[in-house]
Amino acid sequence: MLYRVIDAHELPALVQAFMCDYEVIAPVRSGKSFAFEAIDSFDDIVLDYPTTLTSLKKYYLPPRETLFEYDMVDGVTDYRMEVRPRVLFGAHACDINAINALNLVFEDPRYPDPYYEAHKKATMIVGISCMPGDSCFCHLLDAGEVRSGYDLFLADIGGRYLVSIGSVEGADILEAACDPREATDEDRRAFRDYTRRRQRAFNEDIPSVQEIPMLMDAFHSDDFWEELGSRCLNCTACSSVCPTCYCFDIRDVLDPSGKTGRRERVWDACTSPQFALVTGGHNFRPGPRERVRHRMYHKLNGFNAKHGRYLCVGCGRCVKACKADISPIEVLRFFEQKGIEDGERDAD
Amino acid sequence: MSTMSEEKSIPRVVLVGLASCFGCQINITNVEAHLMEVLGQIDMRYWQLTSSDPMPEAFDVAVVEGAVTTDEAVRTLQRIREQARAVITIGACAATAGIPGMAAAGYEPRANEVYGQAVPAIIDDIACRPRAVADVIEVDYEVPCCPIDPYDFVRVLQKALYGANPYERTSTLCGECKRNERGCFYGRGIMCLGLVTRQGCGARCPDLGRPCNGCAGVSPDANVKGARRVAQHSGIAPARFDKALEMFNQVTQGVQP
Ligand code: SF4
Ligand code: SF4
Ligand code: SF4
Ligand code: SF4
Ligand code: SF4
Repeated sequence: MLYRVIDAHELPALVQAFMCDYEVIAPVRSGKSFAFEAIDSFDDIVLDYPTTLTSLKKYYLPPRETLFEYDMVDGVTDYRMEVRPRVLFGAHACDINAINALNLVFEDPRYPDPYYEAHKKATMIVGISCMPGDSCFCHLLDAGEVRSGYDLFLADIGGRYLVSIGSVEGADILEAACDPREATDEDRRAFRDYTRRRQRAFNEDIPSVQEIPMLMDAFHSDDFWEELGSRCLNCTACSSVCPTCYCFDIRDVLDPSGKTGRRERVWDACTSPQFALVTGGHNFRPGPRERVRHRMYHKLNGFNAKHGRYLCVGCGRCVKACKADISPIEVLRFFEQKGIEDGERDAD
Repeated sequence: MSTMSEEKSIPRVVLVGLASCFGCQINITNVEAHLMEVLGQIDMRYWQLTSSDPMPEAFDVAVVEGAVTTDEAVRTLQRIREQARAVITIGACAATAGIPGMAAAGYEPRANEVYGQAVPAIIDDIACRPRAVADVIEVDYEVPCCPIDPYDFVRVLQKALYGANPYERTSTLCGECKRNERGCFYGRGIMCLGLVTRQGCGARCPDLGRPCNGCAGVSPDANVKGARRVAQHSGIAPARFDKALEMFNQVTQGVQP
C-alpha cells in the first residue's frame, strides 16, 4: 500500500478538486444526527462525525430505482438510467467494508447487476478515520479496518492526514490538488498512536465472541429467538438503516393514464412479514421469531458460508434504530452468557 | 363519451359514501391533471358526491368511503358486495371506522346520556355502533389514510381494473421513517404511533415533523404490547398510548389493552 501525508489545511482543496467533476457526498449534520448528503461547500462536512443514521448503500442501491419503462402497446421502451459521477467523501472503515460486501453480491459473475455496476463504476470513495461510538463493534467482526475498496483513505494523525492511496484516479487527484509528501517516521509513529487510541476506545461492554458462525448453528433452536422475536415490532427499521441489507422487491408501476409504466426495484427486508410469502399463500417465515433469526443468521452465519466474511460490519446503526433492542450485539451477549453458564456447569 | 360497443368492456364503477366527511372523495380530484385520464379508463356510473340520483343496479367495481353507522349502510354494502366484482375501500373511516369509530366505546349508554328517556326512534331503529366496512362485507382492496393519497387511490383502482397482486406489506411505519433518514420522536420523549401503524404512506407525517396518528390503521402484524413497552421506556404511559390509538383505531381488533 502506498502512503502519503498531507496537511489538514490542504483538505478543502482536495474536496474542491473533486467538486469540479463529481457530485460530492459527505457527512453533514441533520437534526440531532448525521447524514450523507450532497454538499456545496467543504464547510458543511463534519469530518469527525459519529456514525450516520443511514448508510451509503442508497448510492449503489437506491431505495427506489426505475429498471426500465414500458408502454402498454409497444412493450419495453428505451430506458437510459441516469448515473451521476460521485465521490463518497468521509466514509468510515465499516461502511467501506459494507460496500465491499455488497460488491460480492452484486458483482457475482453469475448474476451481474448492470444497475449496481453502473453506480459503482461512477463512484469514487474517500475514506476517513474515526473514533468508535458506544454502539460500534466493527472490530469484533473483522470490519474495523479496511484494506481495499477505496480510492483514498485519510487517517487523521493530528493536524495532518496519512493518506492511503487505493487507486490511480485517487492518486492523480491528490497530486493535482495537494502537495503530498512521503511519510516520515514521526508520521508513522503518530499513526500507530492513533490506532492504539482507537482500539482502546471501543465499548468494552460489547462482548468479543469467538467462533460466532458455529455458535449460530449450535443455538439455532434456542428459546432465545422466541424471546427476541416477541419483542420485534415488524417495522424493518433495522434493514432500512443497515449498510449491508441488500434485499429488494421488483414491482410494475402504472402511470395514472394506464398506458405507460415503469418497472421499479424497491428495498425489501427479511424482517417484513410478506418477505417469504410465496404463490399459493405459504409464508416460509411466518412469525417475527423466524424473521429476526433469519436476519441474524444471514449477518453472522449464512453470508460467511458463502463469502467468507460477516455480513454485519458492526456499524451499530440497527442498534440505535431498533426500538426493541434487537441487534447483533444482543446475539453476542447471548453467546457470552451461554459461555459463562457452560463454564459454570463444567466447574460444578 | 364512449360508444355502445366499448361500454361493455369498460368497467362500470360506483363511488359510495357512508359515514365520512367526504374528504376522501374530494381528494380523488387532487390527481388534477390526471383526472380525465383516470376517468377515461372507467365508466363512472355513480359518484355520490356529485349526484343525488340513486346508485344504479349494475356495476363492476365499487369504491366505498366511510364507516358503517346505520343499518341502511349495512344493506347498501350487502347490495354492493352482491353486485361488484371488486370492492375498494377508501380512507380511514372505511378501513378502521376511523373518526366515526371514536363513538364506539360506550355507544349505547351515551345515547341515553344525551337524550335521556327520549331517545329518538331514528337512533334506536337505524343507527348502529360504528364499524369498519370489512367488518360487514369482504373487501378486496384498501386505500388507507385520512385522507387518502389520490395517487395511491389510482394505483389501487388500477389493480382492481387490470388485475394485480393484491398483497400490500404489513410492516409498520418505522422502516419507511428510516428510509426518510429521520431520527425518532421517542428519542425526544414524544409519542408517535408509527410503532404499530401499517406502512404505505411513506411515513409522511414524521417526515413533515409531526408524529404519526395512526391514520393508516394498526397493522395486522403490529406488536401492540411490544410498542406499549417501547413507549413506556421513553416515559409515555401505556394509557396515553392507548388513548392516542383511539383516534383511528378504536374498533380495531387486538388493539385494546
Ligand atoms: S446488522 Fe446492524 S450493526 Fe450490523 S451492519 Fe447492519 S446495521 Fe450495522
Ligand atoms: S428487529 Fe427491531 S428494527 Fe428490525 S423489524 Fe424488528 S423491531 Fe423493527
Ligand atoms: S378518512 Fe378522513 S378524509 Fe376520508 S372521509 Fe374519513 S374523515 Fe374524511
Ligand atoms: S416511532 Fe415514529 S418517529 Fe419513531 S421511527 Fe417510528 S415512525 Fe419514525
Ligand atoms: S404518518 Fe401516520 S398519521 Fe400520517 S399519513 Fe402516515 S399513517 Fe397517517
